[in-house]
Amino acid sequence: MATADNQQHEGVFGGLYVDKHVEYIKSLDKRHDEIEYWMTEHLRISGIYWGLVALHVLGRPAALDRDEVIGYVKRCQNADGGFGGHEGHDSHLLYTMSAVQILAMYDALDQVDAASVVSFVCGLQDEAGEVSGDVWGEKDTRFAFISVAILSFFGATARMSVAGVVAYVCRSMNYDGAFGSQPGGESHSAQVYTCLAALAIAGRLDAVDRDRLSSWLAERQVRSGGLNGRPQKLEDVCYSWWVLSSLQILQRTHWVDRRRLCEFILSAQDADAGGIADRPGDVADVYHTCFGLCGLSLAGFDEYPLGAVDPVYCMPVDVVERAGLRSWMDKIPESWLAQ
Amino acid sequence: MHGRRRQAAKEATVDEKEQNRQRVEKYCALNDLVMQNKAQGVYTRETLEATHRLLELNTELHTVWNYRREIFANLPEWQDDEQRQAMLEKELAFLLEIILKNIKSYWMWYHRVWALRSLPTPAWKGELALVAKLLSYDARNYHGWDYRRFVVARMKESLDTDTQRDDVDASEFAFTTDQINKDCANHSAWHNRSKLLPAIMQKAGGALEQQEVLKREFDMILNAIYTDPDDQNGWLYYDWLLDVQKDECEKQKLLRDKVAAIRELLDLEEDSKRPMVELVETLVALEKIAPHLVDDERKKECLATLERLEQIDTYHVGKYRDMSKSLSMRWGL
Repeated sequence: MATADNQQHEGVFGGLYVDKHVEYIKSLDKRHDEIEYWMTEHLRISGIYWGLVALHVLGRPAALDRDEVIGYVKRCQNADGGFGGHEGHDSHLLYTMSAVQILAMYDALDQVDAASVVSFVCGLQDEAGEVSGDVWGEKDTRFAFISVAILSFFGATARMSVAGVVAYVCRSMNYDGAFGSQPGGESHSAQVYTCLAALAIAGRLDAVDRDRLSSWLAERQVRSGGLNGRPQKLEDVCYSWWVLSSLQILQRTHWVDRRRLCEFILSAQDADAGGIADRPGDVADVYHTCFGLCGLSLAGFDEYPLGAVDPVYCMPVDVVERAGLRSWMDKIPESWLAQ
Repeated sequence: MHGRRRQAAKEATVDEKEQNRQRVEKYCALNDLVMQNKAQGVYTRETLEATHRLLELNTELHTVWNYRREIFANLPEWQDDEQRQAMLEKELAFLLEIILKNIKSYWMWYHRVWALRSLPTPAWKGELALVAKLLSYDARNYHGWDYRRFVVARMKESLDTDTQRDDVDASEFAFTTDQINKDCANHSAWHNRSKLLPAIMQKAGGALEQQEVLKREFDMILNAIYTDPDDQNGWLYYDWLLDVQKDECEKQKLLRDKVAAIRELLDLEEDSKRPMVELVETLVALEKIAPHLVDDERKKECLATLERLEQIDTYHVGKYRDMSKSLSMRWGL
């Protein structure tokens, strides 16, 4: 269990096991004797994305082999322009997003044929503005966000109907001010993040019921200091991202106790093997390591110089800046900035 | 990736290592076989069977679910309605078996949607009963609720008359009532109810009947609020009903009723966080539409309540300070 430690000691900073987490992430691609490694092959590319973001936040962006990773990502691209979760796997927006995010972090977006990616993404929006994850047609507001986010990297958002995406997202708003996976879907923090992020990119944050949603999000903090995904559910480190990034977009991260949240995230670390789990005492994984570190960064953990994370793209701020994509901040409603 | 307890690290025995190695080898061999078949576009009963074995081991291989669907569509039986019906019913049974391993799998729920869409004669009532059963294991499973909404929508499409479709809506509404009676903190049921209420109101008839429906709804949510005043959801639903209530006079009355209910709750328990927050928010809402009803005394009470909240609900100090600042400015206090 991590202990509050104010001394810089063997790669531990204020209880954050920096060196252990870096080693943990670097070890992930070597676990060929573990069945887990093979059974998560279908989302390998997302695993790399989570690991790379975590490394950036920890100040070690070059810890993986750049050429190897880029080569792998390129091999995950299919003839339809989309990317699969691993070589030979079918294209899906989830993995296309991870691919684009990885390439952006390595400043290597020019190494893929932008037109084919854009074409793949645009082909997934229907006349009603709703977006499918792949050709099989499952729709979700996550995909609405991903589609505009991917296109924004290529300066191609105008190639799809952003108004359609906004309408679809707004139809997914519920009585509590939060958002669901589709029109009629129950409010859930992860969907709140994707819907807010989509509206931010579209410059339509005015469509949000800011007070109601902020209150709903603030109530995600439970007694342990951790955040849950919706009422009466267990707290989970990954909501440190989904909820806090949402509050960041709403300019209200101070509506939760960020210090207590940091304590919760730190307590979910594996001090021996490295990595962060969903909650204290559980097995760590790269997904929760990424979101736990992003959460710490957003929450202002200052015992170690964590890299800043953009709350819309869930990527290092410097990378998003380099891509010219911080402009969503210019479209935040004026009244939000006053308070 | 969720909810797995860490075990104390211990060195695996030689036997365990060997067992593990065999497990990995077996899984990889099957995976490689299926992926190769897929790459070569082989659509036979044998390759279908191989996907079955692989998906039993790993339900999250969405590429394999895709491939499985392609195989089905390429088998000669697919072209015959009766045979397709039989194949898909078998598929639904297979899905039911394995979905219990991971009841939150997006891929499996969507594969079920695909199966229902592809069935010549879908048994919507059966699906409704099935999802009701799954929801009885986990009443908050949003995949289940999303699937239920899909089934209901398709069921309505398959009916001939508006009356029949209205009956389905009424029945769904009654289902949420049932769920809420079992557990008034079932937010998923309240959420579904909020999606059905507008149609229920519309079909109630004239303004009077609609008000009746709304009144019953207010009674129901007040009951939930009294049962658990700390549950934010009840108050959010109440506020939403206030938005649904278009009659300004009624709205004013309801806001005053809400204040009265809050005061009752605060009499029972003084430092009750949620009722305190609601008191402030309700007085603010009332002041906006009927300023004469909220005098300086009440305004000062709001600010004092927020100050007290900063002490008893320290996690949300930031929120209460923002509210105080904003109200002080608006009311010049």
